[in-house]
Amino acid sequence: MKATRRDLFKFAAGGATGLLLTPAPWRLVTDAALWSENWPGIPKPVRGELRTRFTHCALCPAGCAVKARCVGDQPISLIGLPGKPLCAFGLMGHQLPYHAGRVRQADADAVRAVIAKRAANETVAVLDLRPGRTASWTYRRAMAALPRGVYLAARSSVPAVNLDAVKIILSLGVPVLDGWGTPSNVQQARSHFRLIQAEPAESRTALLADQWLKIRPGTELELVEALATGRGGAGTGLNEKVIASVANELVQAGALFLAAEESPSVLELNRKLGAVGKTIVAQREAPVPRSWKPAPVTPINSVPERSIGVLLIDESAADSYVPWSKLEGKLAPDALVVTFASSQAGYGRQAKHLLPTAVYPESTGDIPPAIDSPLATFRLTTPLVAPPRGVVNPAQFIGGLAAIDAADALRERAGAIHAAGRGSVCTYADGRSIPVEDIQPDQFWKALNDGACWIDEPGGKLLPPVLRASTPAVVALNWEKRAARGPMPPLVSKLYQESNLRVRI
Amino acid sequence: MSIDIDKCTGCGACMVACAVENNVPPAPEGVNERKGITWIRVFRLDNGAEGVDRKWAFLPMLCQQCGENTPCVSVCPQQAVQLDPATGIVGQMPERCLGCRYCMAACPYHARYFNWWDPSWPAGMEKTLNPAVAPRMRGVVEKCNFCHGRWHAAKARAAAQGRRDLDPADYVPACVEACPTSAIRFGDLNDLENAPERGSFRLLEKLGTGPKIYYQTQRDWVREIAAAPGGTERAHG
Amino acid sequence: MSHRGTLFFLAGALIALGAGWAGFPRVIYRSRPQPVEFSHKVHAEKAGMKCEDCHEIRADGSFAGIPRREKCAGCHEAAMGTTLAEKQFIDGYVTPQREVQWSVYARQPENVYFSHASHVKLAHLECATCHGDHGTSDSLRPYQEDRISGYSRDIWRAMKMNDCVACHRSHGFEKSCLDCHK
Repeated sequence: MKATRRDLFKFAAGGATGLLLTPAPWRLVTDAALWSENWPGIPKPVRGELRTRFTHCALCPAGCAVKARCVGDQPISLIGLPGKPLCAFGLMGHQLPYHAGRVRQADADAVRAVIAKRAANETVAVLDLRPGRTASWTYRRAMAALPRGVYLAARSSVPAVNLDAVKIILSLGVPVLDGWGTPSNVQQARSHFRLIQAEPAESRTALLADQWLKIRPGTELELVEALATGRGGAGTGLNEKVIASVANELVQAGALFLAAEESPSVLELNRKLGAVGKTIVAQREAPVPRSWKPAPVTPINSVPERSIGVLLIDESAADSYVPWSKLEGKLAPDALVVTFASSQAGYGRQAKHLLPTAVYPESTGDIPPAIDSPLATFRLTTPLVAPPRGVVNPAQFIGGLAAIDAADALRERAGAIHAAGRGSVCTYADGRSIPVEDIQPDQFWKALNDGACWIDEPGGKLLPPVLRASTPAVVALNWEKRAARGPMPPLVSKLYQESNLRVRI
Repeated sequence: MSIDIDKCTGCGACMVACAVENNVPPAPEGVNERKGITWIRVFRLDNGAEGVDRKWAFLPMLCQQCGENTPCVSVCPQQAVQLDPATGIVGQMPERCLGCRYCMAACPYHARYFNWWDPSWPAGMEKTLNPAVAPRMRGVVEKCNFCHGRWHAAKARAAAQGRRDLDPADYVPACVEACPTSAIRFGDLNDLENAPERGSFRLLEKLGTGPKIYYQTQRDWVREIAAAPGGTERAHG
Repeated sequence: MSHRGTLFFLAGALIALGAGWAGFPRVIYRSRPQPVEFSHKVHAEKAGMKCEDCHEIRADGSFAGIPRREKCAGCHEAAMGTTLAEKQFIDGYVTPQREVQWSVYARQPENVYFSHASHVKLAHLECATCHGDHGTSDSLRPYQEDRISGYSRDIWRAMKMNDCVACHRSHGFEKSCLDCHK
């Protein structure tokens, strides 16, 4: 039997028919479709048990309580507590570790050796961009221990604002409604204060203010002068009548004057308005251990020119910054500038070395009392994710230069707070508030780590703030400026890029 | 859902919470507001005046979950869009989607978004994805589904307790939960207490698509822009 | 003549059928054994355990799936029997505290939402309705993964979308795509 061409075709036709009766072709069609759904690179979210953890947001000094929904140990979304919502940036805080410009590698040991060598006979200065933390106390202790240590704070005095007593706010470029106070607090108080925003740019606060004074750039102090004396003010570009009517409004009780930059005339105007001691009071700090011997806070302006040999800048948590031009003149000709940051966007451009730090929510630390909290508070930010290898803890690094072991500083401070016996601790998991006297030190420490806030007891007189109007040109950061100077979670593209709800500066 | 425009401060919390909840990736370099994916998007409206007289309002815009003659459902050649009779939610099935974008053209609210790129997250960030929502692939359309993953989770939670029905507190979308001023509220329209407030209006109501999102405002100029056909074209967003 | 043609046709068809039914699955599926030998039968019969003793539904309604090592170690901290499999499991995973990388036969695609809580607690379905005799099997069969789609072969056996739809339809639960998709 010899196979012909026709037989071959019949064989092929039979094969084709037979194949159609098998799962093979159908399977291949389905698989091709499924393959296109599982395109390489489309990640599969990790499944696991949902858990809830609590911490405090360290992105801005408001330090809101955060409830993190986690799969296993990995946070997948953050949310505020009932009645205490997070802002847009706080909501994506758990994605901050993955921002693109993150610096991860540096030779910390070599930098430490260089600093230690120079610290013996040169002035070492620490610039703290978020004063009032336990880390700030470590810097002050370290600077006190070094032969020529200087502690510089971005703001020499941070007053607290008693929003309950405020009836009217004249804000000079302060982002009152955008990353200034605790969002929930400002939101609540907003119904009973009038906000006049004097600012050249149409900022978010200017948009939402009751009145926007569009002043010419750089005429802030002229406006203050005009309001205080009732004369001048033509340079601001505002109508005389407008200035007069604002000045009139400010005379009423509960007026408060806020300025992005500290200056003697701002302070003077607040005194004149009677705001000092009523709406603007001294910031209270939580107790610290008696054994801590801090260096004084040196105003940047009183530092002699060309005197700083080694400048260490802690940018890991920044609420305000000092323009580089103000710092440059204070540096010795061959000064060594080291910045602790997680990206190059801030002082990294000017610094010789950049030591990478952990970012929220990898870092461990505390958050100073919010500007709108007249009471002392103590709040920890505990890591929700493990920091990458190679990051440096600035407090431990700088403490180490002066042989101060800062690893347990937070715990020591919690011990001091507990020993003082004042105030109460609010735990977020059950929403209870317990007087500190009623719990043991270990329980207190555990509660703080599991998500709790210590609040001093009210009472006592609200003290007028110790205002040292001597550090001009410190710039308070609103979210736009933060975005320009520091890392931002990748999803900010939704706000800045995929919509123009916000505009980058 | 009801949205009080006067309470909205344009903070963007809803947009961020939505993207976090629904695994929407950050935009690649160079993507602008026309090709980005924002299931809920806050538009800025102004009254047209200049300088200090200019008044602003913020209008959160999301899928209006049209209940009658739903435009996207009627044009879809793939039956990839479906109006759920039980919940009234307009659902998009990315696996069925062909990527023809008829629905985007049909949607009067521009509330549908196309995946122009493969979804990609910066290295490591894929760990933060929500397991209740599947990431979509390139070439398909996606949109707000009132956080359907949360609805699933709420149903499962209720089932574990032996309940078939949900309590109103069991299920709220992420934007509602995140809104710091409670401008966005959420409930079952069939419940009497959730009946739309007097004076609320719906966007492009006269098209007859039966949107399920009710807006409120006391400001006449906002109402004029928002309620007028083509009003959103004057929006800055 | 036509007889002869039919013969060729049938030969082709037979070879194709053989290749499609017997050969194709070998090619398309990648087979791998489970990391640990496990007998559901022994656990069910000798230890008298029920499915939900290990495969629990959590309080929030999510399904815990295959138990993690701690759960196994709760009983198997030290050997309870004399089998080699148990010894290997304890030496390889419990003592060094390593998690077992099980391959889940019933793992559905990412876009599928399935609530065990609804099906077990509300609809009172037996596990075997979908999982067959898995709970009484004496050994774990090799896990077969589709080379192209990456999914388990088992979901094409008894847990296809058509199977879900058929059951839902017969019980009047067929409402919306998003009921089961996410």
